[in-house]
Amino acid sequence: MAKTVYDVIVIGTGAGGGMAIHALCEAGAKVCALNGSRRLDPRKDFRNHKQPFDMPFRGLGDPLKRKDYIGYMDNEYTEGIWEHDIVYTTAPGTVWTWRRCFAVGGKTNFWGRSSARFSDIDFKAATRDGYDVDWPIAYEEIAPYYSRVERMIGVASTVQNRPSNPDGEYLPPMNFRCIDRILESGSKKIGIPYLPDRIAQLTRSHNGHPGCHFCGNCTEGCDTGSFFSTPWFFLPAAEKSGNLEIRTNALAKNILTDENGHAAGVAYIDRDSMQEVEVYGRAVVVAASCVESARILLNSKSRYWPSGIANSSGQVGRNLCDHLYGTTARGYFPQLLGQPSFPDNVSASTVAWMPRWQNLEHPKQEKFIRGYSVYPDGGCSGFPYYADQLEGFGRDFKREIKRRYPAPVSFYIQAPTQRSDSNYVSIDPEVKDKYGIPAARISFAWDQNTLLMWEHGKQACEDLLRASGAEYLGAGQIDIPGTSLHETGTLRMGNDPKRFVTNRFGQTHDVPNLYICDASVFPNCTDKTTTLSILAFSLRTAEYLIQNRKA
Amino acid sequence: MLAKVAAVSQFPGFSKWVFASEHVHNEAPAARAAAYTPLFFNALEFKTADQLSELIIPRDDAPGAHDAGVVEFIDFMVAHDVDLQYPFRTGLAWLNMFAAEKYGSDFLSLSTGQQQSLVRKLAYRAEQSPTEIQGQEFFATFRHYTVLGYYTSRAGLEALDYPGLRLYSTSPECPHKNDPEHTHLAAPKF
Repeated sequence: MAKTVYDVIVIGTGAGGGMAIHALCEAGAKVCALNGSRRLDPRKDFRNHKQPFDMPFRGLGDPLKRKDYIGYMDNEYTEGIWEHDIVYTTAPGTVWTWRRCFAVGGKTNFWGRSSARFSDIDFKAATRDGYDVDWPIAYEEIAPYYSRVERMIGVASTVQNRPSNPDGEYLPPMNFRCIDRILESGSKKIGIPYLPDRIAQLTRSHNGHPGCHFCGNCTEGCDTGSFFSTPWFFLPAAEKSGNLEIRTNALAKNILTDENGHAAGVAYIDRDSMQEVEVYGRAVVVAASCVESARILLNSKSRYWPSGIANSSGQVGRNLCDHLYGTTARGYFPQLLGQPSFPDNVSASTVAWMPRWQNLEHPKQEKFIRGYSVYPDGGCSGFPYYADQLEGFGRDFKREIKRRYPAPVSFYIQAPTQRSDSNYVSIDPEVKDKYGIPAARISFAWDQNTLLMWEHGKQACEDLLRASGAEYLGAGQIDIPGTSLHETGTLRMGNDPKRFVTNRFGQTHDVPNLYICDASVFPNCTDKTTTLSILAFSLRTAEYLIQNRKA
Repeated sequence: MLAKVAAVSQFPGFSKWVFASEHVHNEAPAARAAAYTPLFFNALEFKTADQLSELIIPRDDAPGAHDAGVVEFIDFMVAHDVDLQYPFRTGLAWLNMFAAEKYGSDFLSLSTGQQQSLVRKLAYRAEQSPTEIQGQEFFATFRHYTVLGYYTSRAGLEALDYPGLRLYSTSPECPHKNDPEHTHLAAPKF
């Protein structure tokens, strides 16, 4: 029997894979998409509109299972939707939480939706401050792709004319709440920007997707598709083209090579039968997310590629970057004590942002290079977590909980790490997952530059709270690495094949029919979230692949 | 402006939400408590825990912990969490011991005023004694679970006027256009 050969095998169905699938199927390519987990029906399977009292454990989860939850997004509402079976290890001294979505669509099902464009300040950062390398592309090359992505997915914001934040094509912004107005007036006094976030949340209906209903439970998945995710926005259309086959529970193991060392397909483990299956294609797109994509390439060893496919540079898995997340300041607004409740929790709280304001005029104004952004949070947000800090019991205690309900405020920093030789993904020499695939091992530590940003951010947020008339209650903790889900850089793009894994189009230097469509190609992680840029770069890579097929 | 979305039922997955919102106020708490069979507490523990939770979050304009069935939540959580079982069982026993020591009777048999005076010694730093640390720790844990149970119940979230119980047709907007710093708001309601 003649074996089926697809035009393209795509590993992963999240932002990068979903976009590649969408673009390739539209162009007429026959695509086989591999997803390591199951498929959900977002209309039925999401529990975002259940209230705590609808859940047996009030959303807290069964204590027996709670011990295995990975991070706040893994909870009773999303039970079974996060990956728990594929082990990974950390090098001595490294702590890392690696959250992977156990559903087709990956983390687009639950993402934070902040969607700022990268800028030339990011792409040319090395020219400005002398550290590391520039990106191999300029903003004007990627700008048209950003515009197309914004039109596809719908991003709400305003034109802000900031040097680090090129403006795009936006739906009406989220309106400012009371806490935003207060912080905005404080920010003006101390010269920090406080603006509507760029958020992929549909403030009105868009391309046939209904406008948001502002329930505030986005990180539990949306059952109306009112923010972008690939199961709502890309996969149905791709399937309608007749060009897409999605294989679920298909955990990619390694890339198969032909007699020339080129990609010939993918070997995967069918997680239902535990059998290894081979699927063949003329090109392979890897979009499994930063750590997993590196693991797949490193595990793809052959006569041609003794240290992993497309790894002649030795750079596969290197240069892992992440966003440092942490609560820079907490406080409350005395002016809001005892005021009526206000719907502050309408978007899981990314209504506003404080986009990078450091090192813009001169690259070395601060003690650190580059910059960070901050997201404010607060107001009436469901459960009154501050209650444990109050003393007492009875009527006064109950009244104080009610009185403080609209008043809490806090800030979350998003600070990029810089590339370092000691931050990387490798293959654990001993540990394999239960499918027999050698596990990823992560070596990572925050760098000095990022920790200086954290210190700077704590001071800035304290200053902002005081300028806004708030009571300052202190700073919180730095979250453990991996929390942000914004890892980048294990398969960096660059023009020099000796130093970079892919070229400026995301095509690997070594293997012409192997392409990378996720954040692992990003040379550094900037202060901005990754998804919008993954979509833009993936679209560009997919169209480059299509062009190469025709040539 | 913050119009509640009228056609909630158009959205898939909301039927339970609509059902629940229509059902709120007219359930008789006593009848429901009778329908719940404790999974962990014995009868005396259950009644004691119910009373202690009501002392922490009493009925005022809004329902209290008893109305909201907080004791059922606590029993359910303790039954499912082995780490809580020893602290709750010994804690309730300690409370009875404390009541006997101070008033010669178990906790439930005391007047509300006597119960409150015992709890005050556990709840306020100024009244705490170093010999009663076990009771203070139990009370802190018990209060934590009372707050958790109450403010995840419909009654508790309604008492806070939790805005997530409603949906909105437009992104909610600050109504105080002329007071950006919010220093001239109406007198506090609560």
